[in-house]
Amino acid sequence: MALSAGQPDALREELLVRAPATARRPRHSATLRQEAWLAYGLLTPTLLVIVFLVAYPFASAIYLSLQDKMVGAPGRFVALDNYLDLLRDEVFLRTAWNSVLYTAVAIALKFVLGLTMALVLDQERRVNNFFRTLLFVPWAVPVVIVALNWRWIFDDLSGLLNNFLITFHLTSDIISWLSDPRLAMGCVIAVVVWSGTPFYSMTFLAGLQAIPKELYEAAEIDGASVVQQFFFVTVPRLRTIFLTTVMLSTIWTATNLQFVLILTRGGPASRTEIFPHLAYTTALGARRLGMGAAVSLVFFPLLVVLIVVLTRRMLRQADE
Amino acid sequence: MPRTRSGSRRLLKWIGNVLLVLLLVWTLVPFYWMIVTSLKPDREIYGFEATLYPHQPTLAGYARVFTTTPFLKYVRNSAIIAGANTLASLLFGCLGAYALARLRFPGRALIARGLVVSYLVPPALLFIPLFAVLSVLRLIDTHQGLILTYFSFSVPFSTWLLMGYFHSVPLELEEAALVDGCGRLGTLFRIILPMSLPALAVVAFFAFTQSWNEFLYANVFVNSVEVRTITTGLTLFIVEDVFFWGPMMGAAFLSALPPLVVYLIFQRWVVKGLTLGAVKG
Amino acid sequence: MHGMHRRDVLKLAGAAGVAATGPWWRVGRSQAQRAKKLVFWHLPNFTPLADQLQKEQVYEFAAKHAGLKESEVEYAVVAGEQANAKLAASIEAGNPPDVIRLYESNVQFYGAQGHLIDLTDQVNKMRREPKGIFESSMAAVLYKGRALGVPLAVNPWPVHARLDLLEQAKVEYPKTWDEFIEVSKKIQSPPRLFAFGMCLGLVEDTTDNVMNLLWCYGGKMVESDNKTVVMNSAANVAGVKTIEAMFKTHKIIPQGAISWDNSGNNKAYQSRQAAFVMNPSSIYAYLDSNDKDLQKKTGLFPVPAGPKGTVNQIDTWSYGAFKKNPYPDIAKGLIEYFMQPANYDRIIQSTGGRWVPVYKRLFDSPFWREKPEFKHFINMAETGVPVSYAGSPTAAAGEVLNTHVIPKMIQRVLVDNWEAAKALEECDKRINEIYARHNKA
Repeated sequence: MALSAGQPDALREELLVRAPATARRPRHSATLRQEAWLAYGLLTPTLLVIVFLVAYPFASAIYLSLQDKMVGAPGRFVALDNYLDLLRDEVFLRTAWNSVLYTAVAIALKFVLGLTMALVLDQERRVNNFFRTLLFVPWAVPVVIVALNWRWIFDDLSGLLNNFLITFHLTSDIISWLSDPRLAMGCVIAVVVWSGTPFYSMTFLAGLQAIPKELYEAAEIDGASVVQQFFFVTVPRLRTIFLTTVMLSTIWTATNLQFVLILTRGGPASRTEIFPHLAYTTALGARRLGMGAAVSLVFFPLLVVLIVVLTRRMLRQADE
Repeated sequence: MPRTRSGSRRLLKWIGNVLLVLLLVWTLVPFYWMIVTSLKPDREIYGFEATLYPHQPTLAGYARVFTTTPFLKYVRNSAIIAGANTLASLLFGCLGAYALARLRFPGRALIARGLVVSYLVPPALLFIPLFAVLSVLRLIDTHQGLILTYFSFSVPFSTWLLMGYFHSVPLELEEAALVDGCGRLGTLFRIILPMSLPALAVVAFFAFTQSWNEFLYANVFVNSVEVRTITTGLTLFIVEDVFFWGPMMGAAFLSALPPLVVYLIFQRWVVKGLTLGAVKG
Repeated sequence: MHGMHRRDVLKLAGAAGVAATGPWWRVGRSQAQRAKKLVFWHLPNFTPLADQLQKEQVYEFAAKHAGLKESEVEYAVVAGEQANAKLAASIEAGNPPDVIRLYESNVQFYGAQGHLIDLTDQVNKMRREPKGIFESSMAAVLYKGRALGVPLAVNPWPVHARLDLLEQAKVEYPKTWDEFIEVSKKIQSPPRLFAFGMCLGLVEDTTDNVMNLLWCYGGKMVESDNKTVVMNSAANVAGVKTIEAMFKTHKIIPQGAISWDNSGNNKAYQSRQAAFVMNPSSIYAYLDSNDKDLQKKTGLFPVPAGPKGTVNQIDTWSYGAFKKNPYPDIAKGLIEYFMQPANYDRIIQSTGGRWVPVYKRLFDSPFWREKPEFKHFINMAETGVPVSYAGSPTAAAGEVLNTHVIPKMIQRVLVDNWEAAKALEECDKRINEIYARHNKA
């Protein structure tokens, strides 16, 4: 019943044309008004949620960011002062750089690993379903638990990594995974990748399985090697899924603060500070709500682009 | 490089199997550590005496979780909140999706767009103003308050997901029912919903898992132990008692089970849902 | 269900809409009356026995002295690390607790905003007890001459030291920081055992540890006028350089200290991985209940002396009562109940030395007098200074502590390899910004 990438175009078109109730297309304005009433009635809860829990808070975040407001005290309008302070702040600039680097590297790794996983699972194999279930498990585990678990794995003296390395004489000295400025970011990214790769594999695998085998056979007959088949058959068909997945993942990876909060708290020396974490500590630790809002909004323009593009895509896909 | 087609195919298979093993190790070793830590006595957990596997496995850690911490309270709270959010998402989602998929009215396209945008606006941006909103409404530290904030991502997402599914239900059956005198909503409940059970399963799955796993809002909007959920309750364990890693890993493992079990049951439909372009938060 | 009519549909839609607004009704009702008459937030801190006793006292007071039913009392546990954030949230929400134990900076912060009830009368009553209270505790609770909190414990930060290791190496507890470094090198055996478990993570303990050392070198954060920031001084540079040498050259501090949280140094000492740790006696209290063997080997000492002598830290805990409370007399009554010497002493003893009594007289009890490890305590309590030295723990000082300005400075030196002077200059600028903002308001 559900539409998938493999649905033939003719049927899709037919459904599109027939999309909302056309057989009884209302002719009278009275019936149209009736439908409108009904529709808005049914949509009331959803609309209330969108207006009061998303639109209004978003607007008030903008207003907050223009104020100097500390917790428990009334706010004072300061226009763009918060933003100017941020742009002059060296820690903020480092945070911006970290955020971009962290997001880009994590996405790239998740992409490669996710695609690898999907390709491996697409191969014919007995009990593939079992392996698939196992490999997708990290995605179902709450992020907090993943982060706590890995913090324990990285622990200097009691963690799995160091104990393993020392027991098997691979190092003589302990490695401070989360305290070493050269390693901390890499470790955080590793956890992000461990947790988020299954999402990529899931969508990629679904896309792979929707590609008709005949296309590969035709290519093979034409003399294409395995690698060529991959680039000329697989990749073009997966392009849409690649784009959608990466864009969604970018929004979620860039704005997730749980990993940093639990693993490193932004340290050592701001090496792993990223903007959602900075917003959190500013708003709740330093108790400066106005500045905290400014920190989260600074990155919003970038996310807006993604959100706009994704909205169009996802609506188009749903309509198709 | 092998010359024959089957030769290269066999090589690929072999590479695939090696990669599979590596990926399995990468994925499963952290779980191993979590489970093993939860089964070790304290002296095997800390410092260089830490063992790679439990020499003297014990369930004492789990006992400590249940007897000395409010873990069960956290579970209860998580369940209440996840349950309420799931039910509301299903209800509001069905009603709204029906309107968007089957009715004509001004503003339809705008609302549909609003759904997706709402879902995509990140919580890391909204938590500060939502904090102010909930404060004014005195909903901080309440179940209702937290559930409301979960609506902000769950309801738009559910509505949008169901809208896509409802679009794909063929109209003939509905038309027949309408002709028979069944009202609009009648067709919703008697025709569309029974045919959309996979969609409902996916919505329930996502609503439940997103709520169960959610951390940021639960951390900012709830303080007292009475209302805390598992995700934020767990982080308290290591602060209060310095040597709590063993039992905490036990609690963590238990907490990961419900979403895991739900996932195992629903995975078939979940993947289908993802194919439709609908995805998890 | 034959043919739902328009009417029914509208009814259904209406019901759905109303259901969605349901939560708001509960809100309306809760604004009218508050079911709880006494809301107490407890901050646990590694002393479960005291936690238990305190809970009992809350309910005892409620039942016997305030005539409250158990259902009218709310006793909530808020973990230390989250306490600031949670308190901030509740105040913003307009429903803070009635009574809560406050760290010194919180008293000043919320007091300045006008949220706390004036408790001067209670404090004066305490001063009238024989031998009175440690006046050093007043710095934390006084705001514009009025006491906005009731001091309940004056906690010194001694050095917990492994006496057995000192004996083994045939050395005495070091008198100066230079000696400290030498002794450390003799007794440690990394990576299993490091000498100095100095907290260096982005947490409050780091500010405490670092400043304590800097004071011995003559440095301080701000002058007693609470306006002139003096972070960027030669004395501080000397102190920071010492820490740098300890970490990089002499390697007596474990590298993992950079990512410790507030329990990191506790854990290090308790699992015998650090020999010297500067911390309130919560470690000692823990050992008393859980590891008598290690407790026997532990000594509590003042910090070693720097070129300008020995300066010890104290931090003062207080009870505060929030004004936004329809039952302020019950709140004040609870605090008075806690502070009655009989009740108070019971809790003090149950903490095993973690809470140092604010009543001087209680130091005469056998519990304190008979333990040689506590012989320095009374002196430390008398002469100790708060972390904001030479200023008082104002809101600005609190923000400096909460935003970890000083840990970030030390990490500049230890991780980014900045020159001490440059790091202190940046730190000084940031602290100036904070003080300027608070002094303007």
